[in-house]
Amino acid sequence: MQESVFSASVSRAVLDIRDLRKQYRNGTLANDGISLSLAPGEVYGLLGPNGAGKTTLVRQVLGLLRPTSGTICIDGVDVVANPGFARRSVGFLPQGQFDLQSVHVDELIFSVARLRGLARPEAQRKTEELIDDLGLAPFRKTSMHAASGGIRRIAGFAAAVAGNARLLVLDEPTNDVDPIRRQLLWNMIAGLGRGGTTVLLVTHNLAEAERVITRLAIIDGGRILREGSPASLRSVVTERLHLDLTAGGDVAPHPALLADPAGGGRFLFDQRDLPAVSGWLAALREDGLLLDFRIGPPTLDDIYAVAVGEQVCTEVPA
Amino acid sequence: MNTARTFNPVSQYLQLTAMHLRMFRGNIAFIMMVQCVLSLGLVYGFGYLMPQITTTTALFVVTGAATQGLVTMGLVMLPQFLAEAKQEGRMDYFMTLPVSREAYLFAQMTVVAVLALPGVLFSLAIGAWHYGLSLSIDPAFAPVVVLAMFSLAGLGVTMAIVSPHLQVTNAITQLIIFYVLFFAPVLMPKDQLPGFLQQASVVMPPAYAADAVRATLTSLPGTHLLQSLLVLSASGAASLVLSAVMIRRRG
Repeated sequence: MQESVFSASVSRAVLDIRDLRKQYRNGTLANDGISLSLAPGEVYGLLGPNGAGKTTLVRQVLGLLRPTSGTICIDGVDVVANPGFARRSVGFLPQGQFDLQSVHVDELIFSVARLRGLARPEAQRKTEELIDDLGLAPFRKTSMHAASGGIRRIAGFAAAVAGNARLLVLDEPTNDVDPIRRQLLWNMIAGLGRGGTTVLLVTHNLAEAERVITRLAIIDGGRILREGSPASLRSVVTERLHLDLTAGGDVAPHPALLADPAGGGRFLFDQRDLPAVSGWLAALREDGLLLDFRIGPPTLDDIYAVAVGEQVCTEVPA
Repeated sequence: MNTARTFNPVSQYLQLTAMHLRMFRGNIAFIMMVQCVLSLGLVYGFGYLMPQITTTTALFVVTGAATQGLVTMGLVMLPQFLAEAKQEGRMDYFMTLPVSREAYLFAQMTVVAVLALPGVLFSLAIGAWHYGLSLSIDPAFAPVVVLAMFSLAGLGVTMAIVSPHLQVTNAITQLIIFYVLFFAPVLMPKDQLPGFLQQASVVMPPAYAADAVRATLTSLPGTHLLQSLLVLSASGAASLVLSAVMIRRRG
């Protein structure tokens, strides 16, 4: 069976999802009318809190789950009816730390490349290239079981990329990865996009992902809350600033502050409230309660916070 | 990136088998040693239980211990490994690759067969030596062992895939060991079991595996080689078809 999966027109969406609904047998509605379309070379971020429906969406794209209704097309092929096409077209990095026990890092990359249909010399060449590019040379003979979480993650990423897939689905690719290799990963993801590979990126690391994402969707409750480029979504909070704050004790928040749902000491406030917030910070400093603060323009984290629900702060983290 | 690709199920089977053998390579020696120790325990243990053991009983014990080795790998270790792979997401990972489901299942079965065979041969050798038996090895012995292994492993795969949870699979496999050791015509003649256990054994593949092993190694009366091979083939094929269907389910 010889096959080339790259014959589709470049003008066609690589991944096209329409009105996707997935209701589990227990009644949980995990995806409720999701539509999105990824162009060739696009790095598309999928953001949302735990339980938002991201994993369910990904599992349907991969052909592991059948949608309740709606369509998923890859390169124009209905992969709900033809899940085998999805498997041939999509390289996947799962979220969990999949433990392939005594398989060495280089064996994983090579084997997945072979299973993705690459001839032995091409798989070998690709394996060596990825080991070099991702700084995996010292770990090539490390077993997956003995490797650190970060090295397993990078090896899994390399395996996802090794098959030269048309579409990559990467679920939290930088979890547990050290800062230097994280940068390598982001650079490689950006490079893959520039080279024409389409990437569906599930991540919570918005600050870093922002540099490579061309478009993103924020989903919660199984629905897309907002979708667009980082720049267009930032306009949602263009009238706001964000404050990173570390307080030296229990501090009653200023009424103008909107809490970060994650509770990490990041707050949004209206630009017009800057004088009031500055005065409040000065008062905290005088009382010896201000350890550190930083005020800046809104980031994707702030967009995310706004999208999943603004809350008024009840306590400033110490 | 206009890459030409080849998706050949036989090549995939070989790749997957090699990959799974590599997964186990850190434990292969340990697994084989455990198999041998279990065989040793059965062969010697039954001798301690029956100091005046007859040649016929010793033949049942030795061939039963060899069959127990196949059961342990095919119906205990394999389902436990697959259930763990299911729970930890490893199976899903392989299911996202463009590989034949049958190749994936056959690869698992091949790996446990490779791991089981040394223990089987060891139990026969140590049993024959310990009890002073002379086993007459029929040329059909090797294919019978392979068929029995694949048939039991097919059932093990089905069990793991159908089972809703790792703990359920583990509980069932413990019951299987208990059943095969004490209540099945594997280590003992069928006519020594009470009537309901004799009837139950009609639908229990380990009984047919033991019968086929005995038929190709001993001249003990009451074996039905052809019937056992047919049942093992049919149950193995049916379990594989069921597994292949179940593994394609998409929830």
